[in-house]
Amino acid sequence: MKSVAQQLVESKRSLILLAILGFFILPFLYSIDLLSIGQINMIGRYMTFAILALGLDLLWGYVGILSLCQCTFFCLGAYAMGMHLAHHGGPEGIIDANGWKLPACLFVVYPYDVGESSGDALVPFFWKPFWNLPLTILLGLLIPAVCSFILGYFVFRSRVRGVYFAILSQAIAVAGWLVFCRNDVKLCGTNGLTRFDVIAPAESLTTFHPEDAKDQWIASHDGDMGQDLNEDGKLDQLDYSMAEVGFSLSEPNVQLSLYLLTLACLFGSFFLCKWIINSRLGRVLIAIRDDESTLNFFGYKPHQYKIFAFCIAAALAGLAGMLYIPQMKIITPSNMEAVRSVLVVVWVAVGGRATLRGAILGALTVNLLYNYLTSEHDYGLFSWSPDYWPIFLGIAFVLVVLYLPNGLIEVVDRFRDRFGNKPNSNPNEKV
Amino acid sequence: MNQFHSVIPFVFLIFASLGNLFGQASEQKINESELLSLLQSLAIDDDEVRANVITSLAKSGDPQLERFFELYRQGSVYNWPDESGKVRIVVNEETVMDDDFNEFAPLFEPVSGNPFLVDGKQAKPDLLDLEDISPGRKIRTLVNSSKFLLRLFSKDPEVRSSGVKKCGDPPFLPEAVPFLNKIIYDPSVDEKIRWLSKESISLIRFSGKLESESSFSDRIHALKELGELNSLRANARIKNFQNELNKLYAGGVITAGVKRKFDSEITKVKEVLESHKDSVELVGNLFRGFSYGSVLILMALGLAITFGLMGVINMAHGELMMIGAYVTYEVQMYFGHTPDSPIDSYYFAALPLAFLVSALVGLIMEGTVVRHLYNRPLESLLATWGVGLLLIQLVRIRYGDNIGVNSPTWARGGYEIAQDIVLPYARLYLIGLCLVAVSFVYFILHRTRQGMLIRATMQNRDMARSLGVRTRNVDRFTFALGSGIAGVAGYGWTIIGGVTPDMGQTNFIVDSFLVVVTGGVGELAGVLFSGMGIGVLSKAIEPMEFGDFVVGPVWGKVLLLVFIVAFIQFRPSGLFAPKGRLADKK
Repeated sequence: MKSVAQQLVESKRSLILLAILGFFILPFLYSIDLLSIGQINMIGRYMTFAILALGLDLLWGYVGILSLCQCTFFCLGAYAMGMHLAHHGGPEGIIDANGWKLPACLFVVYPYDVGESSGDALVPFFWKPFWNLPLTILLGLLIPAVCSFILGYFVFRSRVRGVYFAILSQAIAVAGWLVFCRNDVKLCGTNGLTRFDVIAPAESLTTFHPEDAKDQWIASHDGDMGQDLNEDGKLDQLDYSMAEVGFSLSEPNVQLSLYLLTLACLFGSFFLCKWIINSRLGRVLIAIRDDESTLNFFGYKPHQYKIFAFCIAAALAGLAGMLYIPQMKIITPSNMEAVRSVLVVVWVAVGGRATLRGAILGALTVNLLYNYLTSEHDYGLFSWSPDYWPIFLGIAFVLVVLYLPNGLIEVVDRFRDRFGNKPNSNPNEKV
Repeated sequence: MNQFHSVIPFVFLIFASLGNLFGQASEQKINESELLSLLQSLAIDDDEVRANVITSLAKSGDPQLERFFELYRQGSVYNWPDESGKVRIVVNEETVMDDDFNEFAPLFEPVSGNPFLVDGKQAKPDLLDLEDISPGRKIRTLVNSSKFLLRLFSKDPEVRSSGVKKCGDPPFLPEAVPFLNKIIYDPSVDEKIRWLSKESISLIRFSGKLESESSFSDRIHALKELGELNSLRANARIKNFQNELNKLYAGGVITAGVKRKFDSEITKVKEVLESHKDSVELVGNLFRGFSYGSVLILMALGLAITFGLMGVINMAHGELMMIGAYVTYEVQMYFGHTPDSPIDSYYFAALPLAFLVSALVGLIMEGTVVRHLYNRPLESLLATWGVGLLLIQLVRIRYGDNIGVNSPTWARGGYEIAQDIVLPYARLYLIGLCLVAVSFVYFILHRTRQGMLIRATMQNRDMARSLGVRTRNVDRFTFALGSGIAGVAGYGWTIIGGVTPDMGQTNFIVDSFLVVVTGGVGELAGVLFSGMGIGVLSKAIEPMEFGDFVVGPVWGKVLLLVFIVAFIQFRPSGLFAPKGRLADKK
């Protein structure tokens, strides 16, 4: 095993490369119109996937726990942020009996037409905390973490491990998906959360209680009936949602900032994982992966460490989800299908397990390939159809598992060893 | 002008309806000419006449007339008067258009459905020559109900019982009562139909549509009879009856004492019916649980071999089932089985083929992918998932997204084991298939030499090899066996469920792994018990109600998962955990 210092040195270079590329070159290319804002946005989304992959890599690569429900946690974060955005966005909607604006996408779960007034269609109580942005961010991290804690507590304590945990977590992913697809949980069913226009951090902050926030806004515009945007003769929350508050999510600058924010979060999560792994705690985690029973004999309680790693991974997934949704502007339960979570595993496995850089590399490579190969291409003799993508992915994945157990990062490292200056580094960590 | 020709049938009709008034419930056999003249009077634009025609036609009990009634209801029946103005009732469903945009109507005989011949050729007059005699709304309803009257005389017991049943459903057919009575006293009809007739008569009387017995005490009497019959259909009608009663009471027509008496009667009957309903539901849920359990066992059986014995996490297991289902589809196509021209033998031919093809695919998988991954369970999970993705997409490119496997005709319907408890043949077949598959696997593993070698290899590979067992061959055989059983599960699934390329991922894989994990790895008995347990438990949870919250399939699944996680707390290695030294290996 390499020393910690060595690992840091090794990874430093590629990190600096990634930072320069992400923070400077891509925005520069955008400023000279070589990249469209759509592409920047897309790369930003893929970077949220990289955060998700980092969490799984910490869990799978370093602790040896294969979780097949990371996308469920991702969606918990995404739904949290989605509820926040749905509160603030969208000029459509009605005011419910308690003075809350019913977000447009929530109409699905009520048997009313848009705009039809209704006495008993209320904004569900669990939507309300998500009015406030800091609270949303907190909840978006906490909810996945708490869920994973409960699950981990029961599962790891009874020493469910390895494959059994993988299967159980997949069952949980399926159950979560089924629940989120239902209309009666008031999360908009299979339609998902959508109709996001603005992100309004300052407005959401005004007070802790959203009703007051609304009242304050209305009070601050009192007497100015020019603010009565929906022309119903009174100032209400609908006017608020139509007024120009916050930042429009379709604005290029906002998208660019979201991209930069995602990149910063990616680095943040990377260093967090790095820090965890290099600490004493990380040593224990790796020991759990390599020989759990021996560690047990030493008097450690592996399940506590496992629960910790599981929570961190879930919180990272939640963070990724929260960053994903303002860039994607829609979240549906199809994002939490069991297949999606396996895809995360694919990214990590393809990129390289047990190296954090590998997870990032894998997530970005597979998704960029996906983006390229799910459109039609004509190569003269052979024309590529999007139908071939799953076949390609399946074969590539099998080949990686069989012949490249350390992932693409191994190839990268070999290249660097050949042309670089570190002949003695040994990337083959035992997994 | 053509009314002149219909005087005779009209007179006949009056007699016929008079006969009915006196309750002469004889099945009126009518001959060709009478039928023709009856039909002709349909051309009279008078609802009363038409209603009489329909009623007497219905009483003829000629099964051919059902089609005619349907055509008449749709408005495809026309009058095509000949030169002398004589009424000719004809049928036309589709018109043809010539180059000058004239619409011509090829005509058919009303009852037999043969082409309507004029001078030896099918008549094809201009559409404008046809006289529209389509019925009004009232008559259409009557025609519709008359279809069921007709069925009372059908030779086919299925059709007959459906007709008998329908008479007692709203709108109730009081005119059917004499015929139903006759069915009750006809010694040749079977018990089921006789019972249904009794029920329908009581229901008609209970509905109060029968004019001679419409008083409330009569209806209460009918309700009591229904209670004695344990009629589930009455349950739905009682509320309506109570509403009527309440209305009468509110209107002051009946006194509080009378109402109380009636109410107590109703409650008594209701209790009887409810308890019957509960027991029916209990047995029904139990059976559904058993059948779901047998499906789960079938799905998990192959996995119990590949995962339980060999330790390979085969995520493509669901796809092997999918292949079994598609083999069934291919065999159906080869035999040319369609719902219209059923060739049921295809289903039996498909069983060995589904097994063999899936086993072959499994063999190829083993040789190319799985054999590198023994002892690396997590990697085998990932690689086989990749294989599954590949298989799904290949099948999707070849067959598209949705195909239909038509189950054989005998799988429709069910066996009524007791009153109101019907066991569908498809489900019974699945239970049988499950039993056969389990005994087959048991036989192979425990009663053959090959099975002994399998067990020896899986228990101690090195020792087996040193004793001369060709473990590579044993691996191949075992994996192929597990895959083949998966194919059989997919084959069985076609009889109850849809077939899509991703059916394995969406329906099977998680459930079957849960069964194996809950049951404990490496024991056939574990799969049997956990499969049955999960099946019965989930069907027991689903219909539960808490207040106005019904659990339903989705929450049932979530609850089941909670149960399983809780269960694992107590038995971390499943119901039947491997004991002793074997336990360390896994």
